[in-house]
Amino acid sequence: MEQRYFEDVEPGDEFSLPWRPDRAQVVAFRAAGNPETAERPDRFTDDEAAKQIGMPKAIVPGAFALCMATRVVTDWMGAYGTLHSIDVDFRRPMLHEDALNILALVTDTLEDGGRPTVKLDVYFENERGERPVQGTALVELPRKL
Amino acid sequence: MTTEQAPVFEYDASAIGVEVEVGSAEILPDRVAQYLVATGETNPLYTDEAAAAAGPHGGLTVPPGILQTLSIAGGPTAKVKFGNTAFHSGQRMEVLGQIRPGDTIHVSSDVKEVYAKTGRTGTMVFEVRRNRFRNQHGDVVAVSEQAMVHRQTAPREA
Repeated sequence: MEQRYFEDVEPGDEFSLPWRPDRAQVVAFRAAGNPETAERPDRFTDDEAAKQIGMPKAIVPGAFALCMATRVVTDWMGAYGTLHSIDVDFRRPMLHEDALNILALVTDTLEDGGRPTVKLDVYFENERGERPVQGTALVELPRKL
Repeated sequence: MTTEQAPVFEYDASAIGVEVEVGSAEILPDRVAQYLVATGETNPLYTDEAAAAAGPHGGLTVPPGILQTLSIAGGPTAKVKFGNTAFHSGQRMEVLGQIRPGDTIHVSSDVKEVYAKTGRTGTMVFEVRRNRFRNQHGDVVAVSEQAMVHRQTAPREA
């Protein structure tokens, strides 16, 4: 895993991860919390249940999207980076099998109380040209010695 | 001249800021494995015992996102009465410490706030619930906030 250093980061830097969520991933995600209810048919696992609330097919839990955004940021920062916070707003539903791209954009680098801190925008894009998820993250990176 | 009217909604204000213990969960290895599969995590801090031992935390840690999977039922609610539909509109996580495999996480929750916003598409009422996650040593390892939005949607035509 590559280590990211504060000195090497500039506003405008961008990175991304493609993601095609499916039912198996959603079930595994839910099983991490409660294996007994992971496969329960509902809007997150069952197309018919999702259609009953007006969705074309099963949708991805919002908490799962937060966790994927977290993964993208923590992969980028490296082992000695620290994720302080991350937040996301859910603008549109994400459907199973959507071709998503999770993107992060450095918006600022600053000394926050002497801590080398990076602000990021994080957002998801789908194949319909929408941004179903938008948010921000705050990361502290090590300095080069 | 028109006067803008404040949206009318009801909620239980006595629930605001009242922290309630809602349960605990052990971070079991098989649950961690499920999480790593779901998210495709390959970070050696979470997956490689030797690499993690040589890293900044001196051993394996668990992605903080696993806290988002914990079933937290029966927590406090402000019982918002507004509109005919509610959905999850946002999630925030502040990471304050490391989570280790085998940790026991105790969860307490409160309703942080209830507020209304009126925009192009009408009025929405937000209820923000805050969860604090403490480990078996009493350290707060994370705080998360979950926003639910209540709104009125037009009835569908048959």
